[in-house]
Amino acid sequence: MDAHHITPRHVLRDLGYTIIISAVIAAFLTFTGITPKSFVIVLIVSQSFGVSIYSIIHFLFWVFKPQKTTSVVFTVMIGIAGGTLIGLQIGSFALQQIFSIALKQHDKSFLQTVTLAITFSSIISYFFYSRFRLRASEEVIQQEKIKRLSSEKEALEANLRLLQAQIEPHFLFNTLSNILSLLDTDLHKGKSMLMDLTRYLRTSLAKTRAEATTLGQEMEMIKAYLNIFKVRMEDRLRYRIEMPDNIKKLSFPPMLIQPLVENAIKHGIEPKVEGGEVNIRARKNGDVLRLEIADTGTGLHEDGTRGFGLSNVRERLQSLYGDRGQLILEENRPSGLKAIIEVPYAPD
Amino acid sequence: MPQIRAIVADDEDQLRKHLRSQLADCWPDLIICGEARNGQEALELIEQYRPDIAFLDIRMPGLSGMEVAQKIAGACWVVFVTAYDQYAVEAFEHEAIDYLLKPVTHERLQRTVNRLREQITSSHKPPLEISEIVERLMTSLPQRQAPAYLQFVRVQKGDGIRLIPVEEVYYFKASDKYTLVITKDGESLIKKPIKELADELDPQQFWRIHRGTIVNVQCIAQVSRSVTGRGIVRLKGRPESLAVSRQYIHLFKQM
Repeated sequence: MDAHHITPRHVLRDLGYTIIISAVIAAFLTFTGITPKSFVIVLIVSQSFGVSIYSIIHFLFWVFKPQKTTSVVFTVMIGIAGGTLIGLQIGSFALQQIFSIALKQHDKSFLQTVTLAITFSSIISYFFYSRFRLRASEEVIQQEKIKRLSSEKEALEANLRLLQAQIEPHFLFNTLSNILSLLDTDLHKGKSMLMDLTRYLRTSLAKTRAEATTLGQEMEMIKAYLNIFKVRMEDRLRYRIEMPDNIKKLSFPPMLIQPLVENAIKHGIEPKVEGGEVNIRARKNGDVLRLEIADTGTGLHEDGTRGFGLSNVRERLQSLYGDRGQLILEENRPSGLKAIIEVPYAPD
Repeated sequence: MPQIRAIVADDEDQLRKHLRSQLADCWPDLIICGEARNGQEALELIEQYRPDIAFLDIRMPGLSGMEVAQKIAGACWVVFVTAYDQYAVEAFEHEAIDYLLKPVTHERLQRTVNRLREQITSSHKPPLEISEIVERLMTSLPQRQAPAYLQFVRVQKGDGIRLIPVEEVYYFKASDKYTLVITKDGESLIKKPIKELADELDPQQFWRIHRGTIVNVQCIAQVSRSVTGRGIVRLKGRPESLAVSRQYIHLFKQM
C-alpha cells in the first residue's frame, strides 16, 4: 500500500462510508434481535468501534506505510485490536454519560459485542483494502494511457513530417540510373522519364503544399510515379487509372493516395517475380467518395510486413475526417491487396 | 590465360544493359555469359555456367542478391550492386566486401575491375566465408526483421475478405472453436482459436483477462473489483463489460 495515493478527500469519504456501515450494522443487530439492547445504544457502541478502528488503522498506515501484503495484514490486525480497545472505552464512556449504563466487562453480551466488532471490522477493512488497491491500479493505468497518448502524438507528427518530405532514396537512385542509361540508348525515353521524375519530385518536395490539392492534380503526380516504374519494370508492371472528370475537380488532401500506390508497387508488385497490375479507381457512391488502389501483387501478410505506410494513411484520415473517413483493406482477387479510401463526397 | 566470365543480375532490364555496356568499356576482355532478372535465375546461371564473377543486385524479386551469395558459398567472386542500402553498405565496408552503388560511376567500376583482375590472376580462390558473412549481415540488418506480432486479422465481410488491423479490435472472445472479433463496426468470426491468438498478439497491447477473452489495453476505460476478488473491465465506446478471472487479476494488481 502506497501512502501517497491517499488524499484527504479519500480519507473523508471512507470515514463517511465507515459511519454509514456502522449504522447499518447497528440496525441489522437490533432488528434481527442478535442484541437485546435498544437501537440507539447499539448505534453508539457500533459507531465508537467503527470510527476508532478506522482512525487507528489509518494512523498506523500513515506512520508505518506498510508495503508487503503480510505487513499490511499485520498492521490491519493491530489496528483492529487497538481500535476495539479504544472503541470500547469511548463507547462505555458515552453510554455512562448519556444513559448512565455501565458495560459489564464479564458478562456474555460484552464478549459478543467485542467478537462482532472484530468480525465486522475485519470484513470492512478487507473491503476498503481492495477498493484502495483498485484505485491505485487505475491511477497507474491512467498514467500509462497519458504517456502512451503523448508518445503517439509525437510519433504521428514525426510521421507526417516524414511523409511530406518522403522521397525514398532507393527509388531516386534507381530512377537516376535508368535515366543515365537511357541517355545512351534511347534519348527520347530518357527525356520523358526525366520529365516524370521532375513532376513527381516537384509535387512531393513542395514545402508549402496546399492543405488540399485537387484529385486530378494528385492523380497527375501518381501517373508520373507509375510511368517511372513502367519504364523500369517494363512488362512486369501494368497499370490503369479510372477517374471521371467531375471527380478530378474535387479538392483532396495531398499524399493520401500516393503512399498506397507506393505500397502496392514496393511491397506488392516489385517482390513478385512475374510482376502484376495496379488499378486505381475513383467514384462517387451516394454521398461517399471511394478511391480504390488494387494490386495483384504478393498480398498482405498477417505479420504486417506490408503494413508500413498504411497506419500513416489511417491516422491522417482520422485526423482529417474523424469517423467519416476510413481506410479499408481487402484481399484482392485473384491475388494481392485492395486498399480503399472512403471520405465524404464534398463538391465545392 | 583462360577467359574470365561473369553474370549480371538485376530485375531492371535497363540497368543490366547499362552495367554491361560500362563493363565493356572498363574490361573489354570480360565475357558476360548470362543475365538474370531475379535471384532464382541468378542462382541457376551460376550453377550452369560456373562464372568467375557475379554482379548481384541486392533487391530482386524471389531471392535477394544477398540470399544468392549465401547459397553459392564461394562458387565465384561476388560484387553487390545497390541503389541505396545504408546498413548493407556500411557492413560491406566493414567486411571488405565489394559493392557498387547505382548509378555506377566509371571510376568506381574501374577500381572494382582492377581489384577483381588482380584477385583472379593471382589465383586466389573466391572466399568461402562470404556466405557466412552475408548470413550474419542478413540477420543483423534492420529491414530484414519482420514484426514479431500479429498485425492483421482476416475477416469475411460480404463477399470479400477484409484485413483488420489489430489495433482497431476492442476485444477477442472465444466462441466454440472460433473467435469473435469485436470492432467499432460490429462482430465478425475468425477461424483462429483464442489460444493461438494469445500467442501471436503483442502482450503489451493485448491482455488475456479470461480463458475466453483477450482485450485491447487501449480500449479499457475502467477496471473495478468486487469484494470477492473478481475484476470487471469496462470498455471505451462499448456498453458491455468483461469479466477478469482470478487467474489474470494479477495483470491489474502489479500495476
